[in-house]
Amino acid sequence: MRKKVFIIIGILIAIFSNSYAQADFSINGYLKTDNRMLTDDNYFTWNENQLGLKFEGSYSGKYHLYSEVRLRGFGFPETSQTADLQSKNKVYKWDLEFREAYLDLYQFGLQDLDVRIGRQVITWGTADRLNPTGNICPEDLEDVFNFGEQSGVNSVLTTYYLGDFTFSGVYVPAFTPAVLPSGIYASALSAPMEFPVGMTLRKYWDTIILPEQKFTESSQAAFKLGTSLFDYDLSFSYYYGRDDLPLLNKVIITPVDTLGTVDATAEMIYPKMQVIGADFAGSFLDVGIWGEAALTIPEKIILSTDLTALGMGIQESVALDDAPYCKFVFGGDYTFKNGLYFNAQYLHGFIHERGNDNLNDYLTFHFEKKFFNDELKIVPIDGAISVTDWDDYENNYGLVLNPELSFLPYDNIEMILGAFILDGKGSNMFSSLKDNDEVYFKAKVSF
Amino acid sequence: MKKMAITITMLLIIGSIYAQTHSAEDILINADAVVNAPQDQEISLKMTLTDKGGNEKVREIKMYQKGDETRLIRFLSPADQKGVSFLSLPDDVQYLYLPAFHKVRRIASHIKNDNFAGTDFSYDDMSASKYAEEYDATLLDKTDDLYILELIPKQGVEKNYSKLKMWARQDNFYPVKVEFYDKNSTLWKLFESRNIKKNGKYWVASEAEMTDLKKQHSTKMIIDKVELDKGLADNIFTKRNLKRVK
Repeated sequence: MRKKVFIIIGILIAIFSNSYAQADFSINGYLKTDNRMLTDDNYFTWNENQLGLKFEGSYSGKYHLYSEVRLRGFGFPETSQTADLQSKNKVYKWDLEFREAYLDLYQFGLQDLDVRIGRQVITWGTADRLNPTGNICPEDLEDVFNFGEQSGVNSVLTTYYLGDFTFSGVYVPAFTPAVLPSGIYASALSAPMEFPVGMTLRKYWDTIILPEQKFTESSQAAFKLGTSLFDYDLSFSYYYGRDDLPLLNKVIITPVDTLGTVDATAEMIYPKMQVIGADFAGSFLDVGIWGEAALTIPEKIILSTDLTALGMGIQESVALDDAPYCKFVFGGDYTFKNGLYFNAQYLHGFIHERGNDNLNDYLTFHFEKKFFNDELKIVPIDGAISVTDWDDYENNYGLVLNPELSFLPYDNIEMILGAFILDGKGSNMFSSLKDNDEVYFKAKVSF
Repeated sequence: MKKMAITITMLLIIGSIYAQTHSAEDILINADAVVNAPQDQEISLKMTLTDKGGNEKVREIKMYQKGDETRLIRFLSPADQKGVSFLSLPDDVQYLYLPAFHKVRRIASHIKNDNFAGTDFSYDDMSASKYAEEYDATLLDKTDDLYILELIPKQGVEKNYSKLKMWARQDNFYPVKVEFYDKNSTLWKLFESRNIKKNGKYWVASEAEMTDLKKQHSTKMIIDKVELDKGLADNIFTKRNLKRVK
């Protein structure tokens, strides 16, 4: 018996050492710091230090594994009493994130079939950062200015290649909600709650109702067909799942006094939706062009406002209509002879906007020029303009500008100095932040 | 009889001259052919970027080429560029994969004359291409062992260069030096191939350097390992393979 055990262990060691010898493993990573300050009152808004580690390996071209882990110190001390000083996590907050961890199986069973299993970021769509057809992964809006960032999800992605055609299918068993902006930007993407005249809110609580983590409730599935036609890359996609941003569906108003002061308790859910998408990318003359459109078919959500404590019964209204609505992006880029790069996109419907009546128009733009063999990159103009009412655009617009200077003195080292300048009028995302102009400094070293 | 002998002699002389004199187009076609002669190539190379202060940056690259029209280039280092990959296909179709964005992006023609990843090569230079298809050649001169050609972009071909001047060896047509002139006909870049030796039945330059004379910056490529005619599969040169970070 003992001999058999030794033989088995010996065989396993031989197999694994042989596998290791044939495999190609690597560890890379980066250290990053990001610090931001409001220009008006010197208030620091962002304090982030991050160590990212990327593990990667492949074996004879049959499989490939990849994992990215982020260890991050983020935020400011949250100490209000001496007892808090005894907790390291209150003095210095940190978290660990599995950004991605997946296994690629190449030519899995079939010559033209690849499978990717595990936590992964799946980005569909041809537009730059703003992809209405990219709904598989939840938005990571923690940094509200870094829109387009998505979190990884546990999923199975299969891709079958047939000539010029690519068929992709994704299954995501569990639902993951979007990460919302925090700190002074917490309300950037949410509309203010409206109350009847004379009513003042004292306290607000809300409850997020996540879908049950079971096949029929939390599963998401998506399919995509991609091909090339007349020098253009095209794809058509379908997504079935849920909106990753919460939607208010129930509010209970409780009076506090006779002066109209009330408390509100809210409940939020993640509506089911289907998205039919299409995108293209190519060039017209020398200009790179792309576009994508997503027709969203949401489930109807009724908002129930319970005013019984005020003697007004329960009032119902439509929080989200089931009428399909279409978000789309068209964009292009061009590099001038002097090396100046220009990129612009017109967007109808931002990440958080839902329903035909609530989709606004945005124009994003970006100029950049590199100097000294890419060691210095200057972005003099970058930003976005939004218009919420074209009939009265002078009073209903938002603007964010993001000039930036990047310096790469050595390989693997990048230092960035930049600013966010916000302005606007009326009720829109950028105007709600217009008092939050800030400057930032970032540095990153890769290894 | 005498007339016939003279005619035959004349024909032999003319034939002999013709055999020894190549037209500029022939030389260019042969230069393309000798560079792209292997059916496929898998090359590991080190790229050293040197600025005018003598500061160096090193990139490690893996390059796959099949025939004379398909090429895949993948950065292995430095860490911040690892996985960046570039695919050049026939009919001027080019794709770029940037791992940070998880996306394969088709490159529009406006970027083709832009510098490739901080090197002195443009995206167009990095594509597998044939000079003879894009330039009209004129034979300027012949030295003892070199042909000197002037290349002008063909009508309808958009290049950042107004003309090229190429030095190709007479014995095997391998281009050893190419000068690139800007739109004002000022010398802009200089490309040199060195250590040209036979590898099996093919001529291979194990060192090449592109110098941007305006920026006083150069990119030297030294081949670490080259494998020729190993039967590279077509599926290496696909978008599918482009995003396989290795």
